[in-house]
Amino acid sequence: MSKVRRYEVTAAGDFASVLSALTDHIGLRLLSLDEGERSWLDTPTGTLERAETTLEFRRPAGDGTPSLTWAAEGRVLVYDPCVSSTPPVQSSDLPDSAAFARLAALVDGGELVLGPTVNSQVAVLACLDDEEKTTARVVFDRSETLDGVALPMMLEVLPLRGYEDEAVALEKLLKRSIALSPSSTPMKEHAQQGLSVRLDGPALVPTMSAARAWRTVFQGLTDSMTQAFSGVLSGNDPEDLHAFRVAVRRIRTILQDGNDVVDPESRDRFRHEYRWLGDVTTPTRDADVHLIEFPALAATLPPSRREELASFNEILLRHRSECHAAMAVELRSIRRAQFGTAWLSFLADDDAWTGCADLADEPVLRIVLRRVEKANRQLVKNGRRITKKSPAISLHELRKEGKRLRYLLECFSPLFDEKALATILRPLRDLQDVLGEFQDTEVQANALLGLAGELASADDHSALLAIGGVIEQLGVRGSDARASFAKTFGRFDDRKVQRAVDQLEPRKKKR
Amino acid sequence: MKVLATYNIKGGVGKTATAVNLAHVAAAHGNRVLVWDLDPQGAATFYFRVKPKVKGGGKAIVRGSLELGDAIKATDFDNLDLVPADFSYRHLDLWLDDAKKPLARIRRALRQVSDEYDYVFLDCPPSISLTSESVFRAADALLVPTIPTTLSLRTYEQLDRFVEENPDMVRELKILGFFSMVDRHKRLHRRFMNELRTAHPEMLDATIPNSTDIERMGVHREPVGAYGKGSKPARAYEALWSEIQTRL
Repeated sequence: MSKVRRYEVTAAGDFASVLSALTDHIGLRLLSLDEGERSWLDTPTGTLERAETTLEFRRPAGDGTPSLTWAAEGRVLVYDPCVSSTPPVQSSDLPDSAAFARLAALVDGGELVLGPTVNSQVAVLACLDDEEKTTARVVFDRSETLDGVALPMMLEVLPLRGYEDEAVALEKLLKRSIALSPSSTPMKEHAQQGLSVRLDGPALVPTMSAARAWRTVFQGLTDSMTQAFSGVLSGNDPEDLHAFRVAVRRIRTILQDGNDVVDPESRDRFRHEYRWLGDVTTPTRDADVHLIEFPALAATLPPSRREELASFNEILLRHRSECHAAMAVELRSIRRAQFGTAWLSFLADDDAWTGCADLADEPVLRIVLRRVEKANRQLVKNGRRITKKSPAISLHELRKEGKRLRYLLECFSPLFDEKALATILRPLRDLQDVLGEFQDTEVQANALLGLAGELASADDHSALLAIGGVIEQLGVRGSDARASFAKTFGRFDDRKVQRAVDQLEPRKKKR
Repeated sequence: MKVLATYNIKGGVGKTATAVNLAHVAAAHGNRVLVWDLDPQGAATFYFRVKPKVKGGGKAIVRGSLELGDAIKATDFDNLDLVPADFSYRHLDLWLDDAKKPLARIRRALRQVSDEYDYVFLDCPPSISLTSESVFRAADALLVPTIPTTLSLRTYEQLDRFVEENPDMVRELKILGFFSMVDRHKRLHRRFMNELRTAHPEMLDATIPNSTDIERMGVHREPVGAYGKGSKPARAYEALWSEIQTRL
């Protein structure tokens, strides 16, 4: 079957000028030109995406009738004008036709959720032969997010069955005539990820206003988060989820330390939403960690015991799959879509960052140094209080305080004296590793204990015993981490490191 | 996959227009549709603006050395594909005659694409021949456009008789006759329609009018629903398709 070939239009010029080149210079015939709002729909678990199909609900600009289009690899499987002006929310809302019956069967009676929504100009053009028969279609798509951030202009060549050679010839002609760059990313994914939303702000400099600096940091972190997003949904590489979560946590921290810099109402709202976003990804990350670490943990057991863990590994895989499916539902939810759009709008809105809070116009360095000092003071104070008898919760709280300091230092790193920064970060990261190991082993042991319940109910006693061995190993690692805390904290609470906190302000160069 | 053949022993009754327009209607309803133009005149192929040429030759399809899927061309309409005519199809009877199990040849070729389509329309040449017998064996239903005239009436009854006399060949084949090129202003048309309906109550209720809109298919080179959406003939084909579906 013919496959769609996708390109990003890198040519200079707007939609109209590229369209004009396609029709006037290349001689394609314009079949349709649609303008309006366009939303992608899918089931909460992404059934349509897995089936390599897309379902689009389009609301044309003006008084046009909304429509629903189900397509596979650019080929329209069914198109239908909609009676309703709102998208279908479950399969029973789909129009009554043979093809939509197939779609309903695929959706399996489930609900449909609204994915990304963009404003689009979509031109469909035909390449004709000497009989005026279409041999290939070209879809030229210019879309932008609802708050006006432009997505890349995309061009797709859709070869028709039996005319593959003609499509190849057309592609060659297009590449010669218009600046194109091959792309594997469909517009839906651009819209979903906000990949095109290159939120490049100005580089951080000590004299820039605090609000401007905060916004720049958020823009960079949002980029990292959105770039990992499709990987998080696919679930193929645990690193994507890890990167996503790191970006989310950093945004939360910088929001937390954005009092009197960021508009208070927005700050409260987004802190709440980012906390939710972090929470919905936690079970899957925990399950990823179980799976990643399990082979190494199992290796600590005698060889005869390791084989007994095969059934538990299956439980871990199933658990991970369930966690990922549940997370995907949340990440595809209307709540996430609305929050994502609102966040991008907030970052793009100049007015939201002008005179928005008491310290917004202060030079950033002064504000950040003050917050670093405060975070450091708190970490040192609470770290010194930790004794061998302190409860685990005290170490967990200390870990959070360490993260806060670390993220402040890392996110605003271009502002600081490099040598002083390195002096602080090295022992701080070591401290975080120790605290992380202590907490992770405890969390992991508890989780494995919970999952082992399945083995108990299946009377798989040999595997249960083997898991007991693994949990014991985790306990040993946790104890080791705890034992090394005092020494590691001492290296951070060292006079040289603490003096470096006062030396973070870059020294003025001597003339 | 359902195989529907537009067939009549007599020529010029609207077989090709029926195949092309019903295929277009079925595809517009979201069905995956294939038209196989078996008529060497290639009128269906012409209507879809496809070149009347099968790469590798029509003989290779019948012989089984060329997959039917490799001969398929997409039309300009979503979900609607075509196996174009080839002038060499004038020898189709001879090829079938030379082949082993000739009556199973078309059915076997269609089996290769049975997962890809919901409906296949076979646009057959007129006459009763080995080709038509092979089509009868492959099809689930024969769509028989019939002009309300004496000669058409005669050929419809010839076909009816043939089917009755050859139960092994046609097996579960349904005969779905309907009136085509009807001019309701003509008293004779109205009379023949009444007579034929009385004699053959199984005939479909939907009728296709005699219309210049249908004749203009040759000018536009596309199905009537593509350039005359909502026109009387377009609505007539919609009604016909709807009734055919209830009979299948």
